[in-house]
Amino acid sequence: MKKIIAMLLALVMVLSLAACGGTGDGNKPKEIKIGVLVADVSGEEALAFRNYYEKYLAPHYGVTLTYTEQLEDAAAEKAAIETFAAQGYNAIISLSASDRASQLETCAQYGMYYAIASGMDDALYAEHKSNEYFVGQIGPSMTTEYEAGVAMGKYFKEQGVKKIGIYGAFVPNPMHVYRLAGTLVGLGLSYNGATEMEAIAGQLYAGFDLNAVAGDIAVTHYIAGYSDTMWDELGAAMGAGIDAFISVGMATTFFADMLNGAKLPYSDIDSFTSGNGKNVKEGSLKYLAGKYASSVGPIFAAVINAVNGNAIRTPEGYALSISQSYLVATDAASFDACYGADQGDKPIISTETLDTVIGEDVTYEQFVAIVK
Amino acid sequence: MKKTLEKEAVLRAYKRKQLLITLLPALALAILFGVLCALVSSKGYRLDIYLKKILNEGVVLAVVATGAIFIYSLGSFDISLGASTLFSATLGVMAYNATESFPIMILVIFGVAIGCSLLSSVLASVFHIPVFVTTVAMMSVLTAVASQIISVNGGALGGISIPSKLVRPLDTIEFKLLMLFGYAALCIFVFNFTKIGRRLKFLGGNANCAKLSGIRADRYAIVAFVMAGIGVGLGAFLTLVYTPSVTPTTAGGIGMNVIVAIVFGGMPISGGPRSRIYSALMGGFSYILLNNILKMLISGNAGYGISQIVSAVFFLAVVYITGMNYRTKLLAR
Repeated sequence: MKKIIAMLLALVMVLSLAACGGTGDGNKPKEIKIGVLVADVSGEEALAFRNYYEKYLAPHYGVTLTYTEQLEDAAAEKAAIETFAAQGYNAIISLSASDRASQLETCAQYGMYYAIASGMDDALYAEHKSNEYFVGQIGPSMTTEYEAGVAMGKYFKEQGVKKIGIYGAFVPNPMHVYRLAGTLVGLGLSYNGATEMEAIAGQLYAGFDLNAVAGDIAVTHYIAGYSDTMWDELGAAMGAGIDAFISVGMATTFFADMLNGAKLPYSDIDSFTSGNGKNVKEGSLKYLAGKYASSVGPIFAAVINAVNGNAIRTPEGYALSISQSYLVATDAASFDACYGADQGDKPIISTETLDTVIGEDVTYEQFVAIVK
Repeated sequence: MKKTLEKEAVLRAYKRKQLLITLLPALALAILFGVLCALVSSKGYRLDIYLKKILNEGVVLAVVATGAIFIYSLGSFDISLGASTLFSATLGVMAYNATESFPIMILVIFGVAIGCSLLSSVLASVFHIPVFVTTVAMMSVLTAVASQIISVNGGALGGISIPSKLVRPLDTIEFKLLMLFGYAALCIFVFNFTKIGRRLKFLGGNANCAKLSGIRADRYAIVAFVMAGIGVGLGAFLTLVYTPSVTPTTAGGIGMNVIVAIVFGGMPISGGPRSRIYSALMGGFSYILLNNILKMLISGNAGYGISQIVSAVFFLAVVYITGMNYRTKLLAR
């Protein structure tokens, strides 16, 4: 018995001694290593971004890009950042939004640069824009989200719909709130009498009330979030004879088969992927506002610059905050124009484009130009 | 004479086996720690950050699991611990945002945590149903209410939070270890040096026998749930210290992880006389160490699935090995 315990303890000691005998240079970055925080690991948009980063950008720039597993909450985000810090990563690109303030503070604590590859709340940006480790955020601003909703609403109004259902996705998620506010305005509707962006968005954070909607187009059904009953709710809406189903996000993920099968016109704000191409060409997806895979390229360039000591800041010296617009497709031809231009070795934002903004003498204006 | 010697040899072999099984959780923890250190070193990573990360990940699980030992020692089962942690943290944040008072936030967190825990046991007593059933119901209700509060009040940030500067000074290794060992010391005292612990174990070992001996199961169940509630409150507070925001998914995995931690620590799920407070501490950190080791060894999305399978196999192996120690000692129930 004593021998067994002695052997086990000896094993522990040997392993611990091995730990002490490390090279001691774990701190020194030998290459640029970027960690990517993700809350969605299986969505088409997330996979498109990942392919662009891992198969196109990382080999070209010799960068190590490591994706996290699906991060469920703020604690998981912070733990992931700590893991990257322990492994000598230089920077974090975030596609996860449970607690961005905590993400940024943790990165700064470990001397890692932090960037957001999507839109960010204005107040949060204002609070952290002076942080030297905050590279910035590039993605649709809340105003852009609102405008995307307005354009989508206007499209269906022009199509002459009279009775619709709406999928509010994950309201009160800010981007879904602003898209929903814009959609109502685009449809020519008011919400509790309000017709302005902030006035409607402010109310939507508390939830959506069908009775608060007024106007010429009837919103008869509203679905939100994710539940076991949401397909039944959509079935009820279809049974009630709606003319169209307008979604502010994720409809192509959750409802595409059902909507395509019923040939009910629908819309979504999502991304340009092969799956959505099929929905446009063979299904009834009539309006798609979307990101394209290489839209996350500029934030990658900004991170490379920051790690190399060439951080690009606004003229006032703050972290970047640049809004990106959505591309829109309403038929197969316009879809192919957007999707086809962003494939394989020739994406919309190519390495040739990014090369023009990676380096020592890049100005803020040059950088904004490629994003826009 | 020969037979006596043979009997003594068999007895010694049996005692050796029992000692090994008893020491197994501690040895496993030590080995996992050694393996982690070796791996971190061989890959050129920073051990100091890894150890801090493991403490951060393990401390909430360890305190909640330590409190849960009181419930599990009864042979009961509480699956709502994660939901209670979320609910307590949610109301704590709401209380702070309403009053801007740190002490009030602390009081609300612990008050709500103990209240939720007590409610489970009282409901079980009133309706004469197993505690496990009431905790399943509590889990659903608390998660739903917390999610609704967070959704309505989360606004533009999608979650609710307190100012990070409020808790940042407490986000240190020293403070977390103080909380962990302080609470563990309290639990060890109550469990090992008062009649409460002895009677809880007696109830868990054989409830009928305990009742016939004059022990009131309801009264001790309430004590057990109060102690567990304190653990949940401390867990909720430490969750906020780590990340000062709460989303509907906060603490989502704690309910199941507590069970894993207790089993990894060598305690039988059926409770009874072999219940140990230190099982939660050792098991909680063993589980976190194992997860981190597997993540280092198996990277990528496939790695996540593989590490879950390895954890499950490890779980079954530990249950089997520890079961060897108490399986033959159980009294008929």
